[in-house]
Amino acid sequence: MSVNVVSILAQTALLLLLAPLLGGLIKNWKAKLQNRRGPRIWQPYHDLIKFLRKDMVISEHASWIFSFTPNVVFLTALSAGLMVPMVTAQAPLSLFGGVLALVGLIALGRFFLALSGLDTASAFGGMGSSREVTIAAIAEPAMMLAIFTVAITAGSTNLSRIVLAGQGPGSTLLDPSHALAFIAMFIVLLAETGRIPVDNPATHLELTMIHEAMLLEYSGRYLALLEWAAQMKFFLFLALLANLALPWGVAREPAPGALAVALGALLLKLAALAVAVVVLETRVAKLRLFRVPELLVVSFLLALLAVTSSFLVR
Amino acid sequence: MNPELFARLATLASSLVLLSGLAILWRHSLQAYIGAFARQSFLLVVATLVVAVSSGDRRLYLVAALIFAVKVVVIPRLLRRTQVHVAADLEIHPYVNTPASLLIAGALTLLAYVVAEPLVAIGALPTRGGIPLALAVVFLGLFIVISRRSALTQIIGFLVLENGIALLAVLATYGVPLIVELGVFLDVLLGVLVMQVFVYRIRETFDTIDVDRLRDLKH
Repeated sequence: MSVNVVSILAQTALLLLLAPLLGGLIKNWKAKLQNRRGPRIWQPYHDLIKFLRKDMVISEHASWIFSFTPNVVFLTALSAGLMVPMVTAQAPLSLFGGVLALVGLIALGRFFLALSGLDTASAFGGMGSSREVTIAAIAEPAMMLAIFTVAITAGSTNLSRIVLAGQGPGSTLLDPSHALAFIAMFIVLLAETGRIPVDNPATHLELTMIHEAMLLEYSGRYLALLEWAAQMKFFLFLALLANLALPWGVAREPAPGALAVALGALLLKLAALAVAVVVLETRVAKLRLFRVPELLVVSFLLALLAVTSSFLVR
Repeated sequence: MNPELFARLATLASSLVLLSGLAILWRHSLQAYIGAFARQSFLLVVATLVVAVSSGDRRLYLVAALIFAVKVVVIPRLLRRTQVHVAADLEIHPYVNTPASLLIAGALTLLAYVVAEPLVAIGALPTRGGIPLALAVVFLGLFIVISRRSALTQIIGFLVLENGIALLAVLATYGVPLIVELGVFLDVLLGVLVMQVFVYRIRETFDTIDVDRLRDLKH
């Protein structure tokens, strides 16, 4: 195992460039499904460019945390993305850590985001931070347990090894523990990335917003970084779910043919998951905030059952 | 059928039975409970059919058909009629709130795995992997009975418990003798009918089917 500069650059480019497209696709498909015309799929790129050009307005009460946060959030999302095997089974930064490092990086980003929500002392920011942390406190253990289910089967918490083991002969889809872990991870994905049953990414309604509330004070370049980081986080969660649950097609060796197949497979899997998210967001209403912990406990329970059945029955 | 695939299918079906039971803890309306129970019974039929196909036991087809008739069609219909008649739809204040119930259900499943370990270890049937899950369904049914207030929900808890026992019988021994099976079905059906009468009476006396109010009888 070595740190391969080319693969790092390639995956960084993939993350940075495709993440906004995924967000745009979901918005567009959702609108189509609801008989609206919807924004074009390139809209997120235009938004990012617009934000990058605009001046920033920073509250005079803001401390260094306020300007430090966007960089931390962006970089943690990016480096977490580099730990997820996307096209090649060997993730560019897999040498630096497995699942625990990934969850830790995401938690670090969330910690700073929650701090910056509190920093300017706006009422909404604080509310958003408190909600975000409440949800994360239950979503995180559920996610860890769900990933541990696959990790136990693979015998390693290294994501690359898990994907490789998943491609091996001993794996099947019919295994109930994997199906449970998949559902649990999907619920966590919705919670962590602020999708509909938990948070509504399309609204700035005070009563419901969670993620948006923490970003309210941001503008210009910082807002662009935070939005971009949120899109990357969504992308990396979808890719993680896709490649852990259905590890087919991921390239074992960096050969051109295998890479092309792997890229195609990744895009197909992401599109399929995106369709699932779109259908779910159209079918399901947003949950009341007080019912969100119940949903996450369901996810935790499923993950617990998954670990139990893969750990105790062998 | 390939025995390993068969074992997987049986375990998958039993986990789905357990999951549909867990749905009862997460939902709040009686209508959803009845739907979840019907789904659970249907999955029980599927599990029975899987075992029937692989073991080649003809009797199990009959059992599956009976389960379908009694627990997927008749009993849910009876329950729905009762629910409409007593005009109750929400399980408002269960004794244990939803997140705690779910966590307790998780603990009960763990307990089922621990308790069933020797059973699984000595079992020779390929379906033995599902035994802890069936036991967990039994525990779950009991838990629903003791943690919910509405008389109808308690009936549903009892039926879930019964489903767990049926699943256990199918997985652990490929079904009990037919005469026992028939007796159990009759028992369940009559039990539900009797309990339905009780629910009507409770409703007439107290204007609610909250069993907590039954304490008022003492005075």
